[in-house]
Amino acid sequence: MSLPAHIYQIYIAATPEQVWAAITESEWIRRYFHTTEFVEPPKQGKPYLTVGVDGRPAVDGFIEEMQPPTAGRPGRFVQTWHTRYDPELEREPPSRVEWTVQNVGERLTLVRLVHDNLEQSPLTWENVKDGWVWILNSMKTLLETGQPLPRVRYDDAVADAVRS
Amino acid sequence: MEEGSEVFRGLADPTRRALLDSLFNRDGQTLNELCEKFPEMTRFGVMKHLSVLEGAGLVVTARQGRTKRHYLNPVPIEQVANRWISKYAARFTSALVALNEQVTTDQETTTRRTETA
Repeated sequence: MSLPAHIYQIYIAATPEQVWAAITESEWIRRYFHTTEFVEPPKQGKPYLTVGVDGRPAVDGFIEEMQPPTAGRPGRFVQTWHTRYDPELEREPPSRVEWTVQNVGERLTLVRLVHDNLEQSPLTWENVKDGWVWILNSMKTLLETGQPLPRVRYDDAVADAVRS
Repeated sequence: MEEGSEVFRGLADPTRRALLDSLFNRDGQTLNELCEKFPEMTRFGVMKHLSVLEGAGLVVTARQGRTKRHYLNPVPIEQVANRWISKYAARFTSALVALNEQVTTDQETTTRRTETA
């Protein structure tokens, strides 16, 4: 791990296989990850691209490692991370995102997210540091309750405030 | 113990909040680095506070060679906040069931939803 690095983690009441699917399969990703999805199923050693519902590029990079969880070993999904949704962030070099999916109990999985290689990408981290919190909580909520976190609709809130 | 209790306990102490502030400003510090920031506290005291924070999930650690580094994990803070600022907690069931079935049988499943207003 290279500095600066950040580590977030969350416990999810689901099996490691379910969490793995939520991280690697578009069917699930689009439900909690700002409606983005992989253009093609990610494969170890291959480049990847995610897009939004409008088809515009969100993030691209390279899948460095893709080892699903097994009985005795945590799953690992390692991707380089190059932002495409913002021209300013796009100019920064790729950073690195590492997911570890570890079974820690009966239907209980620990998800650890490491975002590092950020030396040359400070704006990228500024941009995603709160987003990761929301993404991880939304993934947990989706897996545990069937619904992702609702997005706050600021327009409605402002409209209500103006009316009252 | 009620869910979230450890988070509240972790945040309740001003020294522990100062430790979190320090990691917020510079993530990934070692025990030595944190001890230097809090000269009024013994090494044992800093370790004790860090272990409470780690137990609450507010701090996570990773080894880098022989060095153990400490990282601020803000995820549980949003979890306790969502209890009061979001309606999602009352909604229940089914995507997990659907995902489970998809993973094990790869068959199409329907998603049942319980809507609560």
